[in-house]
Amino acid sequence: MTIGADLVPATRNALSLLLLAMADDEFVIGFSDSEWTGIAPMLEEDVAMSSLAQDELGHAQALYRLLAEVVDDGRDADAIAYDRPPEGYYHARLLDHPRGDWADTIARRYLYDTADAIRLDALAASSFEPLRDLVGKIRREERYHLMHVTAWLERLGGSPGEPRDRLVAALGRLAPDAASVLAPLPNELSLVMAGVIEGGADELDARWRSKIGPVLGRLELPMPPALADPATARTGHSDAFRSLWGEFNAVRRSEPGVTW
Amino acid sequence: MGQPELQAWEVFRQEKEGDPMRHGGSVMAPDAELAVHYAREMFGRRQESVRLWVVRRADVHDLSDPDLLQPPLDRSFKKPGGYVMRDKLAAARERSGRPKPRGTAR
Repeated sequence: MTIGADLVPATRNALSLLLLAMADDEFVIGFSDSEWTGIAPMLEEDVAMSSLAQDELGHAQALYRLLAEVVDDGRDADAIAYDRPPEGYYHARLLDHPRGDWADTIARRYLYDTADAIRLDALAASSFEPLRDLVGKIRREERYHLMHVTAWLERLGGSPGEPRDRLVAALGRLAPDAASVLAPLPNELSLVMAGVIEGGADELDARWRSKIGPVLGRLELPMPPALADPATARTGHSDAFRSLWGEFNAVRRSEPGVTW
Repeated sequence: MGQPELQAWEVFRQEKEGDPMRHGGSVMAPDAELAVHYAREMFGRRQESVRLWVVRRADVHDLSDPDLLQPPLDRSFKKPGGYVMRDKLAAARERSGRPKPRGTAR
């Protein structure tokens, strides 16, 4: 039997989009950050960032698997993850930015991980049991991710000169798109009504801001503005993403249909 | 401001509850917080540890003076080797009439 078959179609569709958004977010940031493997600022950080990137890909895999069961159209997790054109990806616009320098990566991770944590918190008591179980596991790993990236944000933000200048510049590039992670999903009201997620997008956005406000305030860094165009928060991807897409499915496209 | 100075940190790990802390290796980090993060990545990310201790190498008191550790005179009489207990223990048991204890049950 299809997982979630007891949900009304509107809720199931909204649930599928929520899972797709979460999975694509983790997939794209995981692949992006894995580009640091071998070239991170120091050996220990190289291992740490590579390990974090692997964690995100693990979360993406679990979310794609769950999505495959909910959608139940014969595609498995790999097919969903790789066999779509770039326009078919549904990650937040924040993750469309190229990897950039170390400050870009830290700024993007901080903005993404804090928003993702709010989203996971809102799913911790989800009425959709398979997602609730999975989120329980993901949250335990994300705790460490948040500790790691906050430590780096504080070091860059608190070191006058090049470290802080680069972080401020990175936030200037990324902050306008930061709120895209928690932008409203189509039909999210049905998810709230069915108890799948606790709180709508506006509420989640407010929680996120109250969480990052004190940290950014202490470092005298600006708060991200409200999202200018929420309707395109997860569509119309960048050239940087299209080139990442070409990288991450190059092997799979080289021999379609084979088992690796 | 230049780069913060990297320092060496020694990492001890416990494989399971009750085991002794054993030296695992070292990491380089600018401060204790990142040292703990990196220790976690190097010695704990595959669930191979239940506890880590991270110590700044500079805080370790080193003793490697050969006059103190490897004195040149013969000290073999301080070693327990050559003094075989087994037969004496067996004889003592014989005298006391108590059997050899098995396991921990009494």
